[in-house]
Amino acid sequence: MTPSRMFRLALVIALVVAAVIFSRRCGAPQSEADAVPQNGGTLVATYRTEPTHFNRLVEARPMARLTALLTQATLLRVDPNTGALVPRLATEWTGTPDGLTWTVTLRRGICFSDGTAFTASDVLFTFQAIYDERVKSPLALDMRAKGQSFQLRAIDDHHIVLTFPSPFGQGLAILDSVPILPRHKLQAALDAGTFRDAWSASANLSDMAGLGPFMLQAYAPAQHLRFVRNPHFWRTDATGQKLPYLDELEVQIVPEQNAELLRLQSGTSDLTNGGARAEDLAMLRDAETAGRVTLVDVGPAIDVSTLWFNLTPGSKAVADKPWLAQEAFRRAISHAVNRQAIVDTVHLGAAAVVYGPVSPGHGDWFVPDLGATPFDLARARTLLTSLGLQDRNGDGVLDDASNRPVEFSLLTQSGHTERERTSTLVGEQLRQVGIKVNVVPMDQRVVQARYASGDYEGIYYGAQANSKDPTGSRAFWLSNGPMHFWNPNQPTAGSEWEGRIDALMLQLAETMDHAERKRQFTEAQQLLADHVPALWFAAPHVSVPMSMRVGGATPTVIQPPVLWNAEELFVLGPRR
Amino acid sequence: MIHATAAHVLRRFVAALLVVLSVSTAAFVLARLAPGDETTTDVMEGVDPKAIADTRDRLGLDRPFPVQLAQFTWDLLRLDLGESAKFDRPVAALVAERGANTARLAFVALLLATLIGLPLGVVTGAYSGTWVSRLVSTASIAVLACPPLVAVLVLLYIATTTAWISVAPGDLLVPALALGLPVGAALERLQSQATHDAMASLDLLAAAARGIPSHRLVWVHAARQSLRPVLGVYGIVIGSLFSGSIAVEFATSWPGLGRLMLDAVQYGDVRLVAGCVFAAGVCLAVGNLVADTLRSVVDPRVRDLS
Repeated sequence: MTPSRMFRLALVIALVVAAVIFSRRCGAPQSEADAVPQNGGTLVATYRTEPTHFNRLVEARPMARLTALLTQATLLRVDPNTGALVPRLATEWTGTPDGLTWTVTLRRGICFSDGTAFTASDVLFTFQAIYDERVKSPLALDMRAKGQSFQLRAIDDHHIVLTFPSPFGQGLAILDSVPILPRHKLQAALDAGTFRDAWSASANLSDMAGLGPFMLQAYAPAQHLRFVRNPHFWRTDATGQKLPYLDELEVQIVPEQNAELLRLQSGTSDLTNGGARAEDLAMLRDAETAGRVTLVDVGPAIDVSTLWFNLTPGSKAVADKPWLAQEAFRRAISHAVNRQAIVDTVHLGAAAVVYGPVSPGHGDWFVPDLGATPFDLARARTLLTSLGLQDRNGDGVLDDASNRPVEFSLLTQSGHTERERTSTLVGEQLRQVGIKVNVVPMDQRVVQARYASGDYEGIYYGAQANSKDPTGSRAFWLSNGPMHFWNPNQPTAGSEWEGRIDALMLQLAETMDHAERKRQFTEAQQLLADHVPALWFAAPHVSVPMSMRVGGATPTVIQPPVLWNAEELFVLGPRR
Repeated sequence: MIHATAAHVLRRFVAALLVVLSVSTAAFVLARLAPGDETTTDVMEGVDPKAIADTRDRLGLDRPFPVQLAQFTWDLLRLDLGESAKFDRPVAALVAERGANTARLAFVALLLATLIGLPLGVVTGAYSGTWVSRLVSTASIAVLACPPLVAVLVLLYIATTTAWISVAPGDLLVPALALGLPVGAALERLQSQATHDAMASLDLLAAAARGIPSHRLVWVHAARQSLRPVLGVYGIVIGSLFSGSIAVEFATSWPGLGRLMLDAVQYGDVRLVAGCVFAAGVCLAVGNLVADTLRSVVDPRVRDLS
């Protein structure tokens, strides 16, 4: 080959390589760090459930929350990462020294998505709807202090006065959950008693209007919701650019979680319903290494799965196996379970050891090592012996005084890998101290039904938490709460310590000083730890997967982890 | 002959009606006897017990089971399927909406299955022993043996990684392929056997002896003769399309009756479960009725026997 031919060949090869690199460069999303937010583009999110209603005031399910988040606005927001109050429709607020009366200044010159001006009357209307008995709003219970409704009045179009009838611990943070609805669109329905039907999933979308960053343009049942930019949205970024950045946000309804992940990995969608499952983490990490997705660890979850026994007085479980009701028995279990092994094997290291329902994800409500029961088989055996539980026939299983084996059934949710594996591992670990556990994976609904009917011995399950503030989980802490798992809906507290927790939680609901609230809640946690009514093992880290196209995301442990600031999301590059 | 056929169809229609009413009632009974009810999920979500009590009262869940069953049966006889507790909408409207989607999916899937399965069946039946026949037979058996959910996920994986086919919720091709391919494989196997039998029949041997070209022998004479037994299973095939659509609709996000039913079962929406079963029963009954009628027209022995 002559030198000139070699040169031409080298040139061609160099050009081809350059073209490939250039084309890849053009097609690849820019990195988040050097990205400047750009207007335009569409992101696709997937959700596993479909909406049944678009009105947050009448529906508390995740899709209604998401729709409200995207299409409506609240007076203020609690930043899910910092806990700080952030102005939204309210620009400023001043309170009396006792914290009971607040004068709130509303943002001026802003409009609903249909162009109608926003005024104080919309705020008053929203609260009128919440408190209307016919609406049966799930928000109504939270918007009360000592059972009394908040008082609201308008000073003028841009100022309102909000009065709490008695000290209210959450203070103005409660307003984070109240989307302000358009009076001009819904007053007639409220007057006619048809408010619950307005904005249902089969309603005409043109009847909806909001102050949020997006408008719901289309809904295809069981397929997708298409949100488009609200041209009247009032927020701008630090440079004065109007928000939201996106032209469109499509929420596709994909009920099957594997299909949801396939779409994300292939670049068909950009965001999923929530955190990744433990069993998907390895695959997602590979995809992250290959540059197909980003995986953000946002810290330990705030909804920790719980193991509890049916301690309702008179229940068959307690009658047949009275040792279940003994604190020493449950404490022995707590010592016999190697929590670190659960973290390492079930969660592949991506979890925090916990001894109570409050995890490090709850921020400063979490008290490290409170109620810690270190892994100690000898201590567990001693506690079990103190209850008269011994292996009397040499079969390796303890027996009670009536020679009945110490065994119990543990219901858990089938298909939920973390719960199934943890239950199995706990069963194996308890075998070492002579306790036989029969793990029974069941359909989620059946577990819920067995809990509701009280037909069970033990359950390992969990409920979703939507707030870091302890008052958000009153249904668990209060003895009359439906999620006071071990003995729910008690007419009066069945034990002294539960009564004390009730009192503390009610005080906490009325206390405004954060340090004092923290002290009260720490005491409640300590009481729970002292009496071990239930057991907690590990709080999994929430890893939020996203496509490489998503810019501006600041994921959080609270649902929805990314879309909570949808107005600040932008597109980093073209779809693969 | 027309009178006999009409009487046969009428008998089958009455039987189908009874079957539909029976399975709908059975679905109601089974769903109601299953643990939990429409408010079970609310309990675990920490909904106010007063609100739960209101819902139970509104849905009549506190009434004795025989009263609830009598009410359901009376409503069903008046073709009133009631209200969905989950969607807060009339069940009939929901079922009609999603049933139309499932019918569309089933139609396209059946079309694909027929277009793929029958010709391939003729080929494998007529030319058995060739490598083409062996290849197609093996592929058919593999597709038939694959669980629906796995098959769907494989198809989804191919579709998403190659981007050859859209997988957006509401796009038809992936669910139609997922639903149609196993049916096509079943039709191929049936058609193959029927063609093989037809090719061995005396009349075709005689036709071959008369010098009729082999391609005409296969694609006209054998194919026509072998269609009769295959036609008979179309009613069952339509039924299987509806039952098989649950996994497919779930995985591909197709907004059909199967997915609605799964939602209803998961939520414990008993009226909606019964409504979905009613709709599926109607489709199955209509499919069987059409297949029976066609068979009775084609083969008088069927009519006479019934």
